[in-house]
Amino acid sequence: MKADAHALHYAVTQFLYHEARLLDEQRWEEWGALFTEDGIYWAPASVDQPDPINHVSLIYEDGLLRKVRLARYKGENAFALQPFPRSTHLIGNVMIDSDAAGVLEVTSRFVMYEYRRDQKQALAGEYKHTLTGENESFRIKRKKVTLVDCEGPREGTSLYF
Amino acid sequence: MTTLLDRRGAAIDVDALVEPNRVHRSVYTDPAIFELEMERIWGRTWIYVGHESQVKEPGEYYATTIARQPVVMTRHEDGKIYVLFNRCAHKGAQLVGDRCGKLKEFRCCYHGWRFAMDGKLLSVPLENGYADQPFNKSHADANMRAAPRYDAYRGFVFASLAADGPDLKTWLGGVASSIDNMVDRAPDGELEVAGGVLRYEQDSNWKFFLENLNDLMHPMVVHQSSSLTARVVAKRELGADAPTPSAIEIIAPFTESYTFFDEMGLHAFNYGHGYSGGKTSIHAKYSDVSEYNARMEKAYGAERVKNIFSVNRHNTVFYPSATIKGAIQTMRVVRPLAVDRTLIESWTFRLKGAPDELLQRSILYCNLINSSANLVGPDDQEAYRRQQMGLESEGLTWINMHRDFGKDEDLGEGHLYARGSSDLAFRNQFKAWKHYMSQGAR
Repeated sequence: MKADAHALHYAVTQFLYHEARLLDEQRWEEWGALFTEDGIYWAPASVDQPDPINHVSLIYEDGLLRKVRLARYKGENAFALQPFPRSTHLIGNVMIDSDAAGVLEVTSRFVMYEYRRDQKQALAGEYKHTLTGENESFRIKRKKVTLVDCEGPREGTSLYF
Repeated sequence: MTTLLDRRGAAIDVDALVEPNRVHRSVYTDPAIFELEMERIWGRTWIYVGHESQVKEPGEYYATTIARQPVVMTRHEDGKIYVLFNRCAHKGAQLVGDRCGKLKEFRCCYHGWRFAMDGKLLSVPLENGYADQPFNKSHADANMRAAPRYDAYRGFVFASLAADGPDLKTWLGGVASSIDNMVDRAPDGELEVAGGVLRYEQDSNWKFFLENLNDLMHPMVVHQSSSLTARVVAKRELGADAPTPSAIEIIAPFTESYTFFDEMGLHAFNYGHGYSGGKTSIHAKYSDVSEYNARMEKAYGAERVKNIFSVNRHNTVFYPSATIKGAIQTMRVVRPLAVDRTLIESWTFRLKGAPDELLQRSILYCNLINSSANLVGPDDQEAYRRQQMGLESEGLTWINMHRDFGKDEDLGEGHLYARGSSDLAFRNQFKAWKHYMSQGAR
């Protein structure tokens, strides 16, 4: 790997760690601000799902719905979030698949552990980030999260993966 | 003290657990009662299996369960649909391990017995070992056993593990019209399963889910955190005059007023079935999809189309295994796993001949309301879970269903009507529950 490729990989990896940290530290506004104006969060309900329009998804949210979900986190009547769940994300296997015209396609793997009251669940899967911008000013144009068990019967969850 | 609970099931006096306007807490918490429900309700009545469009071609199959027993719906080369127990006639191994697929024939993974898609045994390796035995290839028990009864209504396949009982059409009674209305909304007069499935499990008894469907006193409380928040955020972000995005059109009505839900009304029928809404529902104010009305009018004529669209129901319950929303072509299928564990599946249907936007709206609805990670459903699930835990308390033995008791309007042939805030839907479901549970062993 060339020196600049190393630097880019380092910057991208740091960005992914930063994003996960914001989720785990529940810094929702800062996390939401990582997305571009038209940024999409998509968690398919099937591993070979071609698109989010003609097939159901676990989550398919634009900026408006993301703002609704994040506002709900703070709502006093969100009973499913009382007490509020906690999470830890671990990210690895970060690879830059393409880098063209200022758009990076990045694939990584994650493990997420979620705890709420007496319930805990381990989630794992693949992230595909579409990033724009450079260095510390990366923005997420799309985050696609494919859970290993996205098709299987799933427990309810309110947090972002 | 009321001692009703023999964990072996024998001594349970089920008649004493349900009164016309109250129900004993143990129906939600006692594992012995759950076992009895599997036998007497789920093992007796019509249970939704799947839709004919899931097995279009000969060889296609769809596997599910009835009362926790594995079954498989198939399309045989004779073009007919069969509902068979998913087990080899030999030593009982499940013949299909996947949920759906296409085969030339069943071939058991264990000893290679081959069966046709109608369940008939085709071959056994070294068949001569059975020569001169009372059991051989032509013995009736050598074939896959079919469910005692199965039938379809306008593409919806149901099966019953009991040989006797009302036929499907009679059993559906007044709620067959909800299926009619869903199918009639297709310009080509047919539905097909499309858009995938969402599956999630709840830590709660199956009856909480069924009761909640037409519990019209809960949305404005349980869904404040999502629906009201969506209204506020959309107004703040888009301004009051901007067109409402589809997602907000879907979420916002969950916090309509008590008056709105009260006026939606409740309809109850024999065997625990029912629906809410009718003239209007939370689905009535969605924006028109261009082209759709024109295609409908071309297919049915303006008068009939007006008729079809004048029916707008909220949830129709086919007690105990399924519920549909005809107005937006979605279905949820119920599978009890344990006294405090329930699997729900959410399906969407394409209206054949309609623009793609209709299916896309159904899909959007399910993403927002039915997925395991959605915005609205977690608060329902939390309510069920808290009920499940709360009813472990011996604080109060009975759950009341007194609201508007004795005030139902009798519309004849088992059809009852009440305002939306009534407890009619609960009373009606438990009337059916008692009817099945008190019938004794199958």
